[in-house]
Amino acid sequence: MDFDIIFGNAARAAFGPEAIILALAAIGLNIHFGFTGLLNFGQVGFIMLGAYGTSVAVATFGWSLWVGIPIGLFLALALAVALGIPTLRLHAVMFAIVTIAAAEIIRILIGSTDAIGLTGGPLSVSFDAGAFFDLNPYADGPQDRYGVGTFAFTGQQMWVITVGWVLVALVSLIVFLIIRSPWGRVLKSIREDEDAARSLGKNVFWYKMQALMIGGVIGGMAGVIDAIKTSGADPNGFRPQVTFYTYTALLLGGAATYMGPVLGAILFWFLREWIESFLRQLSAEAWLPGAIADFLEGSEGIISVAMVGLALVLLMLFRPQGITGNRIEMQLDAR
Amino acid sequence: MPADRPPPEGPSAPEDRSMLLDSARRTTEVEPILTVHPEPGVAKPNPILTMDGLRRSFGGLTAVDVDHLEIERGIVTALIGPNGAGKTTLFNLLTGFDRADHGRWEFNGQMVTSPSPDRLARRGMVRTFQLTKSLAKLSVLQNMLLGAPNQMGERLWAAPFRHLWRNQERTNTERADELLEQFNLARMRDELAGTLSGGQRKLLEVARALMSDPALVMLDEPMAGVNPALAQSLLGHITQLALSGVSVVYIEHDMDVVSGISDWVVVLAQGRVIAEGGPWKVIHDESVIDAYLGRRRAGTEA
Ligand SMILES: Nc1ncnc2c1ncn2[C@@H]1O[C@H](COP(=O)(O)OP(=O)(O)OP(=O)(O)O)[C@@H](O)[C@H]1O
Ligand SMILES: [Mg+2]
Repeated sequence: MDFDIIFGNAARAAFGPEAIILALAAIGLNIHFGFTGLLNFGQVGFIMLGAYGTSVAVATFGWSLWVGIPIGLFLALALAVALGIPTLRLHAVMFAIVTIAAAEIIRILIGSTDAIGLTGGPLSVSFDAGAFFDLNPYADGPQDRYGVGTFAFTGQQMWVITVGWVLVALVSLIVFLIIRSPWGRVLKSIREDEDAARSLGKNVFWYKMQALMIGGVIGGMAGVIDAIKTSGADPNGFRPQVTFYTYTALLLGGAATYMGPVLGAILFWFLREWIESFLRQLSAEAWLPGAIADFLEGSEGIISVAMVGLALVLLMLFRPQGITGNRIEMQLDAR
Repeated sequence: MPADRPPPEGPSAPEDRSMLLDSARRTTEVEPILTVHPEPGVAKPNPILTMDGLRRSFGGLTAVDVDHLEIERGIVTALIGPNGAGKTTLFNLLTGFDRADHGRWEFNGQMVTSPSPDRLARRGMVRTFQLTKSLAKLSVLQNMLLGAPNQMGERLWAAPFRHLWRNQERTNTERADELLEQFNLARMRDELAGTLSGGQRKLLEVARALMSDPALVMLDEPMAGVNPALAQSLLGHITQLALSGVSVVYIEHDMDVVSGISDWVVVLAQGRVIAEGGPWKVIHDESVIDAYLGRRRAGTEA
């Protein structure tokens, strides 16, 4: 059992591209769910369109990556409008159902054999993200490593990470600026009582639409980073659980806070990787009874997700506002 | 039904006297309404709100059935009637929170074609709710600021750039502080609204409605649950509002309050306007008393 390795793995996951993607997805979801109270259960749909928009533009149409990225973001925006127009006037539960269904429908369409010519269908699509890595300032030889022990990245990863975290910081700043403004105040009023907002002259539908669009485009950014990181996209990567991981991260960090989604994403990946590495080392220990070792072997990933879920349950029980949330605000719900 | 509360002309606070003065002065200013013949659906000299054939039924129950009603501009109109008379439903219809089965109404000289609550509010028809809608997780001040109209900072493109809306926000904050002072809420300014008492929330909701300088405020039982001393000052504000040209319609069950500050009273029973007129006359009208006591008269039964 080598805890340095376990910790190194966990730290690498916590600061690597996966955490960045999750952080962006959670920042977008925070605008929907945290600040506006929209129950978006299809955040993965926005991520997927960001990733596929970029990938397909470059791989299928042969356009430049710098054209592909805006196309990915635009598709995420278009999804927000397409979802919002028919459903934002309906009850919150309807909206939740439609979003989860829409994301699944899109995934099934993208992954269908009929779409092979366009999206690669069930096969993944892949493209050359050279345009992005040409700008990489980090030396990227086969021997180049940045970090210590298992907490180390390649030059290419370093470039994705640098751009990614700068993007997370920038997006967080913009979200901070718009949420503390009178615009953000209207969102919070809608979250609490739509009719109160209406009675004060606020066009609730339009504000919700704006929130849906912004959060959706930020979700699209997560998809763009994902596409660049993997130089492509795979329909299996966009199953509904992505949305639920995003909710987990958001709730861990604290919904309706500025840093919550970022801290939550880091924590999510840290915990998940720590537990998985730990279990993997554990299952290799000689003293472990054979039955338990067999049980663990190969299921470390699933068990670790289950453990993160358990952590979320405990958090909701003992600190429902998340790590950074405001306890007093939570208590007002009970009145 | 009247709540246990001293009459408006109570002997205590100094504001009471000024209020009496106000109402004395007002009598001369609202002269035109006194010449109107007190009968249901009568035309008024200068109406701000005119409705025709307004109907709303829930299943077999007709909650509102108003043939014709005009609300005079710049005065205080009380809407009274027994529980379930349709007062709140009428408010909901007029402000766009509920849809009428039939009927049309005109606000401020313009037909209301597609009643949407926010558009009507922006046109100057602002209401409060019988079940208070203070926003618990916003501070009292933020609640107030939300009421301010035409905010640059509420546009998404301007939101990140504070210098574009800082001045307007400051002006609005000053106005909010003034109102909070008037409504005895200044102390609670930075508390979350959810920590206020029920009566304080009622006050906050009324104060918040006034942030937009409305042309017509419609208050659904603003005094309910507010302690007598505060209710007293709230009555003073309502009188003041009318003096400054705002039209006020409010729903109230306490007859002392109604006769104390209303220039005109409209009585609703089973969805219909059964009487309207000056407060003294209406309150002592036999058909009104019957309606409150649940007695049906040949004339009102449809
Ligand atoms: N959404 C609704 N669905 C069904 N019935 C309703 C609805 N809203 C109101 N009603 C009915 O319409 C009638 C009028 O209700 P309304 O709330 O307008 O009365 P009110 O005059 O405001 O009474 P109160 O003085 O008790 O507030 C009542 O009989 C009520 O049960
Ligand atoms: Mg009512």
